[in-house]
Amino acid sequence: MDGQETGQSVLERRSEAVIAGIEAIDPDHVLHLASSTLKIVLSHFIEGPGARPGRRVFAMPREEEGVAIAAGLELAGARPVLIFQDNGIGNLLTSLLTLPQPYHLPLLAVVSRRGGLGEYNSMIHTISERTEALLDAAGVRWFQLDVRTPVERWAAEIERAWAFARATHRPVFVLVNLMGS
Amino acid sequence: MANLERADVLRHIDAAAPDSPVVLSLGGISREMLAVTGRKGNHFVSLDAMGQTISVALGLALGLDQRGTEDKVIAIDGDGSLLMGLSVLSTVGHLRPGRLVVYVLDNGVYLATGGQPTASADIDLVAVAKGCNWSGARDVRTADELGAATAWALAADGPVLIRVYIGTAQLPAEYFLEDPAILAEDFRRWLRASETVTAERRVQ
Repeated sequence: MDGQETGQSVLERRSEAVIAGIEAIDPDHVLHLASSTLKIVLSHFIEGPGARPGRRVFAMPREEEGVAIAAGLELAGARPVLIFQDNGIGNLLTSLLTLPQPYHLPLLAVVSRRGGLGEYNSMIHTISERTEALLDAAGVRWFQLDVRTPVERWAAEIERAWAFARATHRPVFVLVNLMGS
Repeated sequence: MANLERADVLRHIDAAAPDSPVVLSLGGISREMLAVTGRKGNHFVSLDAMGQTISVALGLALGLDQRGTEDKVIAIDGDGSLLMGLSVLSTVGHLRPGRLVVYVLDNGVYLATGGQPTASADIDLVAVAKGCNWSGARDVRTADELGAATAWALAADGPVLIRVYIGTAQLPAEYFLEDPAILAEDFRRWLRASETVTAERRVQ
């Protein structure tokens, strides 16, 4: 069970698993957008041990801009990872479907889930609960990490998603539920 | 009235930087560049990602920083496309990729869709770029100014932006229907080949 053995909160354990998964990929560029549920993950890369020399970590003002920057990075042979939350999915669809998807450029996005059980924002479910449907409609491959996957396997699954994006030459999204569902 | 047209500027950029990676905005910019230069390996053609031309070039510039090349990365965008993704000016100013050179070909309209006006006439894009911490930015209205601005940009430690006021004349140009997966792979192959040439020159 999440956190029972160590006393850590579910959020902390899952966040550490996400950090471990992304670090295993060893990205040279980490593009992020603000998210309260991603605070632990983002802190690791912005001001923690993940902010290492040789790695650029920077905010993308909008998700679609991040997708396009990542497309340019991929063209140059770099290893970018995007981190943001799912209410930004709507912003990035056009960029995603006019750049990496048709140009066959791999891209890994780690996307935190909002809007489910435990959600405290009264509005956010309106967009967040449609995340899977939006990605399905866009033909984007995604994987879900939540209570159904033991947290011990999360890091390896994120690493596999990176490899899968490169093997299949397309964007792959990993949806991570850090809030407990 | 602008005395430069889009095709003039595209010819000029290709002549000035024939072997630099270039990211071309969608629509008329891509089609007219193809009309004046033919298909070139160093040209990455963005077929439909309006508003993202500079973002792609930014990513390319950041990625090439790690590969030890010294080439400038050139983005050629339109005013309508830039205004659709104006936030990238702040990201560029924050990251300051020294190799990035951006041309904004400003005809004041969405020409490919019938000439509907953009908001560019009321926007001081040079001031916006400078306010976003770019190394420099210039307005260009004549061929002489364009030549001087390009010489400055290619020698400068960027990022730099050149806003070129152009007219609305269009070259006859057919739709470009290449598979985007091929466009990406061709461009990556050109990048790899150009790195090999650069490395061989260093050895010599």
